[in-house]
Amino acid sequence: MQVTFKVYRKDPEKDGKPGRSNYTVDVPDGVTVLESLFKIRDEMDSSLAFRCSCLRGHCGDCMVRVNGSSRLTCTAKVSAYTQKGPEISLDPLRNVPVIKDLVFDWDAFMWNKISTVKPWLEADDATANGESIAADAQMKDLRKVMSCYQCGMCDEGCTVLPVDFKFLGPAALTKAYRFIFDPRNQHAKEQLKTVEGPKGIWDCVHCYEADEHCPRGIEPTKRIVALRDEAYRVGISNEKVARHHKSFAASVKESGWVDEGRLAIESEGLTNVSGLMKLLPTAAKAMVRGKAPLPYMHAKRPGAEQIKKIIEKGEAENK
Amino acid sequence: MQEFDVVVVGGGASGLRAAIAAKRAGASVALLSKSHPLRSNSAIAQGGINAPLGKDDSAENFANDIMAAGDGLCERAVVQSLVQDATKEVLWLERMGVPFNRDKDGRIDRRPFGSNSHNRSCYADDRTGHMVLTVLHEQFQRLGIPSFEEWFVTSLAVDGEACVGVTALGLKSGKLDAFAARAVILATGGFTRMYAPSTVSVGTTGDGQALAFQSGARLMDMEMVQFHPTVFPKGQGLLITEAALASGAQIVNQQGAPVQIDKSSPRGKLSLAISDAIQSGDGLFLDLKPIGKEKILSSFPQTNELVKSVAGLDSTKDLIPIRPVAHRPMGGIETNASGATAIAGLFAVGECAANGLNGAGRLAGNTLTEAVVFGKKVGEAAAAYAKSSAKKNFPTAKVADEEKRLGALTSGNSAEDSLAKVHAELGRLMNEKVGLVRDAGGLQEALSGIKSLQERHQKIKVRNAGRIYNYELTTHFEVGSMLTLAEVVACSAQARSESRGAHNRKDCPTTDNVNWKSHTITKLAQGSAQIDKKPVAN
Repeated sequence: MQVTFKVYRKDPEKDGKPGRSNYTVDVPDGVTVLESLFKIRDEMDSSLAFRCSCLRGHCGDCMVRVNGSSRLTCTAKVSAYTQKGPEISLDPLRNVPVIKDLVFDWDAFMWNKISTVKPWLEADDATANGESIAADAQMKDLRKVMSCYQCGMCDEGCTVLPVDFKFLGPAALTKAYRFIFDPRNQHAKEQLKTVEGPKGIWDCVHCYEADEHCPRGIEPTKRIVALRDEAYRVGISNEKVARHHKSFAASVKESGWVDEGRLAIESEGLTNVSGLMKLLPTAAKAMVRGKAPLPYMHAKRPGAEQIKKIIEKGEAENK
Repeated sequence: MQEFDVVVVGGGASGLRAAIAAKRAGASVALLSKSHPLRSNSAIAQGGINAPLGKDDSAENFANDIMAAGDGLCERAVVQSLVQDATKEVLWLERMGVPFNRDKDGRIDRRPFGSNSHNRSCYADDRTGHMVLTVLHEQFQRLGIPSFEEWFVTSLAVDGEACVGVTALGLKSGKLDAFAARAVILATGGFTRMYAPSTVSVGTTGDGQALAFQSGARLMDMEMVQFHPTVFPKGQGLLITEAALASGAQIVNQQGAPVQIDKSSPRGKLSLAISDAIQSGDGLFLDLKPIGKEKILSSFPQTNELVKSVAGLDSTKDLIPIRPVAHRPMGGIETNASGATAIAGLFAVGECAANGLNGAGRLAGNTLTEAVVFGKKVGEAAAAYAKSSAKKNFPTAKVADEEKRLGALTSGNSAEDSLAKVHAELGRLMNEKVGLVRDAGGLQEALSGIKSLQERHQKIKVRNAGRIYNYELTTHFEVGSMLTLAEVVACSAQARSESRGAHNRKDCPTTDNVNWKSHTITKLAQGSAQIDKKPVAN
């Protein structure tokens, strides 16, 4: 089968400008994208750079975009991408600094972010008393999360990272989950504080793209939600989004509906003067348009008492 | 130039464990790895990590199983050293975060595996290597050890009798640099990428063994190459863990009828039995169905996933074609139990080393145990050596010499020939002539074939003159390493005129304990491999 691979190119030792090379190769049935890349490098263009290691879906190193979707080239069969025609485009992951061709900067993309969460367990390593006793169900959850092979697909699918590359991203936050929910860990609280801070769990917009993208079914979004719950549980929730959630819940509990004025002020933080100043133009516009008639009143809704009871029941169940 | 007490080359389980131990012993340490540590070949270990936990097992039972699998070539003192520390190391891994499967009391569960006489393999689903590697990397980061990732070591700096560091090429920077060290630990993994197919990752090319050999270290038992019995052989080859067999999977013929093979034989014998049965029939298959769908999905999730993505089969329904495929070598750089080689200041550990633990055959589930137990010992020994040895100067011309060598490789044209062709031919040759079963005639053909491939490799130039992520350049080094070692494997196999463990000679089918209860030792003399014998100590 003849297939044309349209491959993203960039050479930092030449002009460093992005371009594209087309390679038409004869490949046998059942061939993978990675095997085709090897053939191109061996027979047509030895300067083509791409990463790979395990060759069979264990390690996550060979992640690129195949026809626009992130895939491991070692398990991606060429035949799966040529149904609309014998052409396949290969690109580095989106929103990632590219070094050469399909080789992008894993450090900037993921490893440095994972380092931020101090990615290790601090535990008593004296082995004299044997292993720590733990239920398999607890270990099973960790095994699922730790089956992550750092392929980066969750970060690739994330809808926040293209807007804010400094967001820690689902991969690093899922790594943090692995420590924070490990009963053997002694610095979980510190790690929770880190991910609860700026660019951490509250910046996730729970679009569930990470869960859609994860090839191992680890459900990073679900892990981030669990970290938020844990932050509430242990009382670490100082960030703006957490304040927003708290204020939202409090005003619904008190009045049966959300108090937008209070929500805006409490989300910014009562001591955050510059943040509050920024609200003024919005408040002025709201007044002009009659959305916030003076004097500002937030009346209770009919049935507010019942809503309060529902919320209190939920709170009691959570305790 | 960078300077450290201890430089570790290789970021797999052995290298990470050695780096952690050396750092905790007070040395300044750096780790160099040609890929990111988490992408290393240790991640493909699946079935388990052995430790004689539990009341029914003992260090003595464990030692006996290792000696039986090693078929007469194990060094008893080294085996004792492993079995005494295996439990401690596995417990340490547990405490540092490996999420081992648990029994009903919440203790580490153990499963049957290969020819272990007891349920001894601690496991984390079928991703044990991945989990162990992950936790070792976490603890490695905890100590803040400088990690030079995607740095390719091009040479060892040996000044007189001692190793004083390495030169390495940073793939990202494209720059060569010197790493001076009082002690260097090679933890570069195996070399079975010289076989096609094999079970290993793209970088398992014997770089450390070849560098050590060329610098004057000795290689031991290089003819002992373990074939894994149950590998889906198409494409790059996909290993299905033997733990599946112990959990109820059957070896069957095309009609699905079980074939009479003792599933609990040591790997060498099991591979041979499977290979014989394939030659007399239409091929063999692994049937995972007897394990039960639920247990396949819960205990072998990765197997299920990869059988689907690599082989396009459903492990809960389909029969999976299998045959024995080159897996891990027992042979490597000759060391003592502390990892010391014939070169002062040069240590080796893990799959690139041969300390006499594995003899002629490795017990299933011992690769990871060996990596962590000896990783720790060798890391500590190297740190102690670094502390006690006088500082030696790194040869000043070394980097410039390496620059010249790289320059010469990347100038000129090699016409029609290519590294890929040479590598492919080597893989075929090794598989056919130096494979599971060998004979004198085939080995002779292999040796002349390897010689001609070496000559072709010498003439091949690197066409890509760039330095940044120049994988053609690193492949040139890797193919060179494999060709160097392939000759040693074939020579050692030719010398050992008997059958033992993983080494099966069609023309010498019996085990010869009178003449061959010895290791083969290879060293470089006047540019060619010279073979000696070293009797087993016990």
